[in-house]
Amino acid sequence: MSEGSFGIGIDVGSTTTKGVLIDSSEKVLASHLQNTGASAPKAVEQLLVQLSTQSGINPRDCRIIATGYGRSIVELAYKTVTEITCHSVGVHSLNSEIRLLIDVGGQDSKVIRIGQNGRPEDFELNDKCSAGTGRFLEVMARVLEVSMDELGPLALKSKSPSTISSTCTVFAESEVIGRIGSGESASDIAAGVHLSMASKIGSLSKRVGVASPVGVTGGVALNPAFRHYLSKHLGQELWIPERPQLTGALGAAIIALRGQKE
Amino acid sequence: MSYPILIEQSNQILRELVDAGQRVLGYIYPHIPHEIVMAHGLTPSLVRTNRTTVGAYEDSLQTFSCSLTRNLFSQRVNGSFPLLAGIVFSANTCDALQNVADVWRLRFPEDNVIRLTYPVGDAGDSAAQFLAKEIKAFSDALESLTGTAFQKDAFIEAASILEGIRSGLQLLYSARLVNPSLIPYKTLSELVGDFMTAPTKTVLTRIENKWAEVLDGLRKQKQDGVVLKIRAALLSQDIGDIDFASDSAVRIAVIGGMVEPTTIADLIVNIPGMKPNTVVLDILTFGFRTVFTPPAETEGDLFENAAQSILGAPSEPTQEGLPRRMRFLKDILTNLSIGGLVVCEQSFCDPDEFEAPSTERAASEVGVPTVRLPIDPELSDRARLEGRLQTFLETLDTS
Amino acid sequence: MSEEKPYRRLESQDLLQQIAFRHGLEAMAASEEGRLAWVTSGFPVEIPLAMDVFPTYPEQAGAIIGASKIGPEVCGFGEDLGYSQELCSYARSSIGSTDRPEDVSMGALPTPQALLACNNICGTVLKWYDAISEMTGAPVHLLDTPPLEGEQLPHHRAYVRRGVDRLVEFLADTFNTRLEDEEATRVANLSSQAIRLWTKVLETCVNKPSPLNCADRFLTMAPVVSSRGMEHCVEFYEALLAEVEGRVKEGIGAIRNEKTRLLWDNIPPWFILRFFNQLAARGVVFPADTYTHAWSGAVEGSDTASILDGVSEVYSDVYLNKGLEAKVDKMCELIKDYDLDGFVMFSVRSCKRYSLGQLVSKEMVTERTGVPGVVIEGDMVDSRLFSEAQVQTRVDALLEMFV
Repeated sequence: MSEGSFGIGIDVGSTTTKGVLIDSSEKVLASHLQNTGASAPKAVEQLLVQLSTQSGINPRDCRIIATGYGRSIVELAYKTVTEITCHSVGVHSLNSEIRLLIDVGGQDSKVIRIGQNGRPEDFELNDKCSAGTGRFLEVMARVLEVSMDELGPLALKSKSPSTISSTCTVFAESEVIGRIGSGESASDIAAGVHLSMASKIGSLSKRVGVASPVGVTGGVALNPAFRHYLSKHLGQELWIPERPQLTGALGAAIIALRGQKE
Repeated sequence: MSYPILIEQSNQILRELVDAGQRVLGYIYPHIPHEIVMAHGLTPSLVRTNRTTVGAYEDSLQTFSCSLTRNLFSQRVNGSFPLLAGIVFSANTCDALQNVADVWRLRFPEDNVIRLTYPVGDAGDSAAQFLAKEIKAFSDALESLTGTAFQKDAFIEAASILEGIRSGLQLLYSARLVNPSLIPYKTLSELVGDFMTAPTKTVLTRIENKWAEVLDGLRKQKQDGVVLKIRAALLSQDIGDIDFASDSAVRIAVIGGMVEPTTIADLIVNIPGMKPNTVVLDILTFGFRTVFTPPAETEGDLFENAAQSILGAPSEPTQEGLPRRMRFLKDILTNLSIGGLVVCEQSFCDPDEFEAPSTERAASEVGVPTVRLPIDPELSDRARLEGRLQTFLETLDTS
Repeated sequence: MSEEKPYRRLESQDLLQQIAFRHGLEAMAASEEGRLAWVTSGFPVEIPLAMDVFPTYPEQAGAIIGASKIGPEVCGFGEDLGYSQELCSYARSSIGSTDRPEDVSMGALPTPQALLACNNICGTVLKWYDAISEMTGAPVHLLDTPPLEGEQLPHHRAYVRRGVDRLVEFLADTFNTRLEDEEATRVANLSSQAIRLWTKVLETCVNKPSPLNCADRFLTMAPVVSSRGMEHCVEFYEALLAEVEGRVKEGIGAIRNEKTRLLWDNIPPWFILRFFNQLAARGVVFPADTYTHAWSGAVEGSDTASILDGVSEVYSDVYLNKGLEAKVDKMCELIKDYDLDGFVMFSVRSCKRYSLGQLVSKEMVTERTGVPGVVIEGDMVDSRLFSEAQVQTRVDALLEMFV
């Protein structure tokens, strides 16, 4: 078995660590997602074991590309590539028509304009402020006393979303508490929260230039209310991959593979 | 040299000067008349932001004071800058420095805060005359501070040192544009940093020696001629005629305001994809814009000469005339083969934040990709800054 | 039984709408005729006006955008173009409304042929107008009035005076017009008449009860900013002064039950002027504020040269161009002259020149006058930065000190 036949991509996020193993035809042979927990190196170790078990291949026989916030801690990595490039490449391999990619993670959100070759042409990040990221939704879910899985469906029940005007998560939280106090329905408030998210992401997208078709990845893509309100705000249909949290790792794996072919 | 070592070294230089009986005048905005300061027996030295400063400004400054002023103020609250005889604040250059000078005076009445007011209109002679009078008033204030009257001999000697330092740095900047392997950006930034710490004969010698070394390397490759041409072109802000061929490697420039070249050099050290030759030029206030200042003449009215020198610097302190600044930028990007531009945006810095969109637009008009770098003196979220730069390099990588 | 409001409405306020409407029409016509300039609030507008160039005010447009409660949205348009949220909201909303006038219900200005900035109010106006220049193609001209420390020195006056000459040259070249003595003196006279009348209006508020609250003054200040030098501006202030003097004679106050008299510092939150009416219900009135009192001198002169000399002095000597101590002096003077019980300093995030340092000036004003004050945080246009709950708590704490 030669080193050149397989590629592994590892995406070490602050909340979750993801991994994908592909063969030379870019077919996924193994994939896994787990919590990063307190020790990223440990999570990576466990991840590699999972990939190995699923595929029957020894990770040490593969080239590994690491991406994500914690990419520099992956000792076995051949090199590191940022998530922007990896998401771009990963999405391009799944749907080569996507020109604008929105990735909303736990702690940050990114908007990427994907070029013809699948690599990013331009990008914008919201990485200083938690509004417009998964964290914002977590905080609001807690205030509304629902789980993250329940938050989306709750919001979809609303016919008239509340207005949440604060752009800062901390102030928005107070605002939501105020609205609960004045008797607004939980579903209207939940809808307002998603509207606010969509607006924030929409602004970020305009800085890069909204171009169809638009793809969305990251954990928040699984939230149906987020998809609904974002689609409405952008005036665009959204494409979501089957497993939106793995596109970064997939892209990294593809880069690993292509690097060996050169 | 890592950042902590740089700070230690610059404090060391200051301590040595003070121990040798020199008095040090701190400045924040670098376009000061060094020669005038030195004519009063003072050494001008940059008051530096500190990466590890703990915020201590909340009693006096609101958070929308730019991050540079908050950092300096916090350092002062925590007892820094004991060696300074006084601090120069610029007036009319930006609202943060304008207002913080007043606050500083009131909160630290024992400090000697001196103001130098700049003309910012594109007003030719009348601006020079205004600045000349302000510099004269500045000189009078220094005399009150030190008891030392203006010494013409000291001015002339200082002018010679400053001219030598700037000349050497200009040549090194130009050399790096042509053949970056001859002088690492880190080394260049450290020499600029030394100049900011204290423009002494020692620093001049260090720069001259470095240039001699680099010139040797340039001559071997027959590149000395084009380097001199580039230097002259940059100094006259007219780079239309440069015939310049670069290899296919990625060449990046960094533009912005009040961030030091050494900070940039330190930031890029760990970024995969950033090679030693990648950053070929900075267009920073504490770098290019003060280095490419023309020398002060030593004949005639010395205050007017100092004013003309300061007003001859590229892109600042004169603020009126955005189109001209953008044209100069476009010329640099096009004629010096720059493939990417990093636009630094200091937190709550009005000049940076107002100009960044225009800068990006100008670069895109000549086909040069840009990335914004939201920075502050503490380099908070350094990992994310590195990530941004790494991604930017990945977008430029055509392979 | 109808509920009586705690505050009284000015009749003269009706005239304001007429003036605003007229001004808007004239601005549109001027733009079509190729002679419209956008002008900063501290600019010596008498000069372009005397040269037949019509002025309109992006800062006033910003106030309208704020009052129409579309501040966050329109600022957002500017942010979409890459301008940081940390920048002045007047600038962001101006840039935003210039980019997307079709999406701005009120407050988008007609296309300018020149942008005239004077930095006596802050250092960012030039950069703001630079951005607008890139968007509209209109050239920017700066009248540089470097900040003063104490008296204006001869070299400062000479520099500004030369700058005023440059301005006249620029307007002459750009609009193919001239500055004539007759027009210059006529416009300058009208302007100083209006300013004198306005100053008298302000001074009536030393009376108890105060015939005007700050919100009244914020609104009625509009013509002296946008229309001074024009005849109808003088007429307006004559009418306003008459009404206000009438109130004083009858002992009628702006609010029904005046108990506490406070000083207001800074630009008001345009999107929530009802804040002052809420306080009126608790007997709180603001007989003086630093914003409407910013207008200091009038320009007198018998010929062009003396008028331009006057401009070089008067326009350098404004409240925002003189440093923190001068601001403290002014606030203490107002507290004394208007017999005020305390003060509210609005820390406007957008405006470093006005706000940065209030934490120190607050202490100094209390020290010198003995009256208590409070600092509240917000912005004049961007309502996202204003937290009613937070503000209420602080103001309540202040009011409790007067019980």
